[in-house]
Amino acid sequence: MLTSIKTNHFEGNKSKELGMMYFRVAMILFGAQLLFGLVAAFQFIFPGFLFEVLDFSVARMVHINALVVWMLYAMIGSVYFLMPDETGVETVNIGLGKLAFWVLTAAVTVVVLVFILVQVGPGTESSIWLINEGREYLEAPRWADIGIVVVVLTFYWNVFATFMKAKVKTGVMQVLVADLMALAGLYLAGMFFTDNISMDQYWWWWVIHLWVEATWEVFVGALAAYALIKIIGAKREIVEMWLWIEVLMLFGSGILGLGHHYFWIGTPEYWWEIGALFSALEPVPLVAMFVHVLYDWGKEQGAAHARGETGSIMKNGPAMSWIVLNAFGNFLGAGIWGFFHTLPQVNIYTHGTQFTAAHGHLAFFGAYATILVGMMYMGIQNAYGIKIMKATFKSKMGVFLIAFGVMGMTIALTIAGYEQVLIERAELGAGWNAFFTAQNMPWYVQAQLWRAIMGVVTFVGFIYLVWDMLTIGKAQAGQTEN
Amino acid sequence: MLFESFTDVVPSFFGWLNQGPMTLTIFLHTLVILPMFWIYQSEKKKLNSK
Amino acid sequence: MANKNVSVWSSISFWRRSAAWVTGFAAILLVWLTFDSVGQISMGTDADLQKAVAEKKETRRVPAPTVINYKIGYAMDAKRGHEVPTIGEKELFFGKEWSEKDAAALLHLGKLTSQAKNCMDCHTLLGNGAYYAPDLTKAWLDPNWEKFMYFGQKTKEEGIAYFLQHPAKSGVHTRKMPNLGITAEEAKGLVAFLKHMSSIDTNGFPRNFSKTVNQFKTGGSNAH
Repeated sequence: MLTSIKTNHFEGNKSKELGMMYFRVAMILFGAQLLFGLVAAFQFIFPGFLFEVLDFSVARMVHINALVVWMLYAMIGSVYFLMPDETGVETVNIGLGKLAFWVLTAAVTVVVLVFILVQVGPGTESSIWLINEGREYLEAPRWADIGIVVVVLTFYWNVFATFMKAKVKTGVMQVLVADLMALAGLYLAGMFFTDNISMDQYWWWWVIHLWVEATWEVFVGALAAYALIKIIGAKREIVEMWLWIEVLMLFGSGILGLGHHYFWIGTPEYWWEIGALFSALEPVPLVAMFVHVLYDWGKEQGAAHARGETGSIMKNGPAMSWIVLNAFGNFLGAGIWGFFHTLPQVNIYTHGTQFTAAHGHLAFFGAYATILVGMMYMGIQNAYGIKIMKATFKSKMGVFLIAFGVMGMTIALTIAGYEQVLIERAELGAGWNAFFTAQNMPWYVQAQLWRAIMGVVTFVGFIYLVWDMLTIGKAQAGQTEN
Repeated sequence: MLFESFTDVVPSFFGWLNQGPMTLTIFLHTLVILPMFWIYQSEKKKLNSK
Repeated sequence: MANKNVSVWSSISFWRRSAAWVTGFAAILLVWLTFDSVGQISMGTDADLQKAVAEKKETRRVPAPTVINYKIGYAMDAKRGHEVPTIGEKELFFGKEWSEKDAAALLHLGKLTSQAKNCMDCHTLLGNGAYYAPDLTKAWLDPNWEKFMYFGQKTKEEGIAYFLQHPAKSGVHTRKMPNLGITAEEAKGLVAFLKHMSSIDTNGFPRNFSKTVNQFKTGGSNAH
């Protein structure tokens, strides 16, 4: 992966090269996310660990921001990667794309350094502008917000102009162009200050929810459609029909499903039922995506056998394993774990407990991390001109250990959340005393210990994944070229 | 009791529709889904005339 | 010629049009709902608040900053079936009654400080944030402030302000709040922010909070 630009196997395709640049930074930030996550996990067990040096709030802030930013990098990278295939033309302004890449990377570096070294500021407007906005997931200071908007606008202009130049407007591109516009525009909803905490949270959810439960999900649907066409040769008409069904169901349930965040933040009671029923339908498209991926895979494989071909039809083993994992993980993490606590009758007790953390871990991983890693493997395959890329021992260890580790963390956090719901919320009714009573129960402490162990397992899997990405291209490039 | 008394603090259109279990959400779901029947019929006509 | 076997269900055009309709209409509904909700959660004025207190009625969902001049409670409302904040008689806050302008300025300082100090990446506010430290939604009403005798201070607000400035020293668990360099003024602002937040109508979240207060006074059991 490191040498992929120098090897020049893209045959001059600059857009794909640019995509690989984004993928590389994404993997570095992915590593940072896991490392800071481990620090935060250890602080649950040893509260004195790095106390007043790198406190939980700092570790956790870097953990979740690295997560969001690496995913945005990988998403931008995926678009630059697939655009030449989907439009049939070269991306219009690669120079601008590269400039935006370096500006964004410089800004992200400064923001992370300020988070780690400066951490907090005095209670003034300038802290919000320069250090830390202090709103979960949107901690990036205001100057960086504006920078992100500018960079994303140049990216979007690149995508839009390329799309307009294309002779054939594929369904995948139509969905992406519309979806990315909504995705970029929504960020603006998180860029103002208000003294009213209810108003603050109202618009904050516009960004967070309408990203991860609407526009990002649709983005994943488009990526999966592209990947299925590329990897197993699925028929475009069928894949794109499914894509439109997914868009219908994802936006149909996801947009008003936003209501499930408006149960307890000061907003009117009518959100109870709007949020409950619309968000309860959110898993439906995820089931559809799951069925669609597995069905197409089986169908294409069966058709190949009928033609008398032997062996697998997969052109990229590791990418396919991550995409199938995405079908499972999206349904389990976002669908099942989300539905667990989406009804207000349940959510009044689970809101703000480790239940949310359990859902967050499996959903972000299952719905987004998986498919983006799959896209990176497709990038490597293309960079080295490999016709059929096969999974190595390291690819298998990577996918297995990471999936096992994240699932383990999720189960541990679910147990911790369940205990918290019963002791802190149901029995003791929240409050300071209730919180610490629950936090010190043996089963809660054990669950946190298991979470940390499973975090280490995930990290080992990540090392295998990076190792594989750095070596698989070179190892297989020679074999298939002769 | 199927129809409950109005409990929202501030009266509003959506609060008014929220008169009992699921009245508001079923109403909104119906509004979203119903026009799809019309889209279905119009597509069918289009396909048949081809 | 009419073809009886055409299937609309496998027509891309049908799904694309349906997707466009559903997405567009859901977005319109959301915008409409947002106008309604934003109207309901915008902060009230001091006049609203005084009228509500005089008539013993519920005030706006998010009351004016001057709510810090009143005693705040959290009691079961039989009609709504859950607890709601109550605004009682006047009480001094940091030894004085705050004018509309001063209260707003103090709340502004408190909200800014809550973001600059990144409270949300350990605590939860209105249930959102991290899960490493207690929820702050009704923290102003927590009976523990009394249990620790306000850390030697005379009033609850002074006790909380003291804790915020010396958190590690005052903590009783191994998991402590770090020293975030909060100044005396910022601490006042934060306490105002917490008191104001406790007066927001959160539809009964967190549940049973007020019941716990009574249980807590009797040693944490149901026996009275």
